[in-house]
Amino acid sequence: MTTELSNHLTEEALNDALIGLGSAESETHLAACAACRAKVEEFRSDMKVFNDTTLAWSEARPVTGLQGAARPKAHLPVFAPVGWALAAVVLLMICVSVWNHGQRSASHEGFTSVAAPEDSETQIAQDNELLRQVDVALNTGEASPIDEYQLVDRQHPRLKVRKGLRNR
Amino acid sequence: MGTTAATACLMDTFSSATIESCLSERVRPISELDDIDALARTYRARLLRFATYSTGDPDLAETIAQDVLLRAYNGRESFRGECSVNTWLTGIAIHVIRDHQRSNRYKFWKRVKSAAIDVQDVAAFIPADGSSPERQLLAKEKVKHLTQILETLSHNQRTVFLMRFSEDMAASDISKVLGMSESTVRTHLHRALKAVRSQLGASV
Repeated sequence: MTTELSNHLTEEALNDALIGLGSAESETHLAACAACRAKVEEFRSDMKVFNDTTLAWSEARPVTGLQGAARPKAHLPVFAPVGWALAAVVLLMICVSVWNHGQRSASHEGFTSVAAPEDSETQIAQDNELLRQVDVALNTGEASPIDEYQLVDRQHPRLKVRKGLRNR
Repeated sequence: MGTTAATACLMDTFSSATIESCLSERVRPISELDDIDALARTYRARLLRFATYSTGDPDLAETIAQDVLLRAYNGRESFRGECSVNTWLTGIAIHVIRDHQRSNRYKFWKRVKSAAIDVQDVAAFIPADGSSPERQLLAKEKVKHLTQILETLSHNQRTVFLMRFSEDMAASDISKVLGMSESTVRTHLHRALKAVRSQLGASV
């Protein structure tokens, strides 16, 4: 496979040589043939440029998160106080809200007790006296039309019939 | 220790049974794996490059590189020193990338993926080696074109190509890490190399 009609290595033999699996015969030919050696050197040169460039590009990429992932506990002291502080603030807000609500409820209950005090005997007596005075004032006013026209004892004949029917 | 045991240890890094087996057969004291900062300083860029060009997504590659370093650090007792640390890490990266490919998270990333490789951005990192501006421009175009060619390869072809020509791994190590036969690895390498060389040659 080392030589063809043109006395140069075939593409397959060149590829074998590049891969590192070339035969001894191919290596001998490469050592002697400048044209075949140039092909091999050209590819190696292209790959060297590619490897150097891409490695430089990789080295320039910023390192992100490796330390954090490798030592997750190392970040705890930094973030823990912030988290605890936030939790404390939230807890404080809840406590203040609950306390305020309790205060409002207490003041509301006090207002109710003032507005509606428990009834005492004296108060009941006063109320009854007031109601009696109102009743007297109303009764001592103008005469009722029933009294004025003496309609108290007169009954409609139909009512008598009905009364008789009921009594039956 | 036989080759089979070595392969099993490399392929199944996180199996407790394998770790115990590796521990009992460990022949080399570990040192650089004990310091995750040193591990990241030395290998993160290479892992990031491999993951970026393997997945085509730089943002996902950041996550993968970080995941690989953490897994390597946590499972460092399983490393027996029979291969280079870089090969061992690349093997872990293969597993992590497969996990991402299988998971729904990766599907989500595929759906909303907006962070493709920015070839202009990558090409801007051409090393200033004192060459002429014309050569710098030509090198920049080569890098851009090679990046685009790699995206056209199948996942397996791209992976073996990167492992061989970027990570400088031997075909035998690639076959162990990927769990493929060496002939399959050679087939993928040949196809990938043929595509890359033909397209690179066509562009010149």
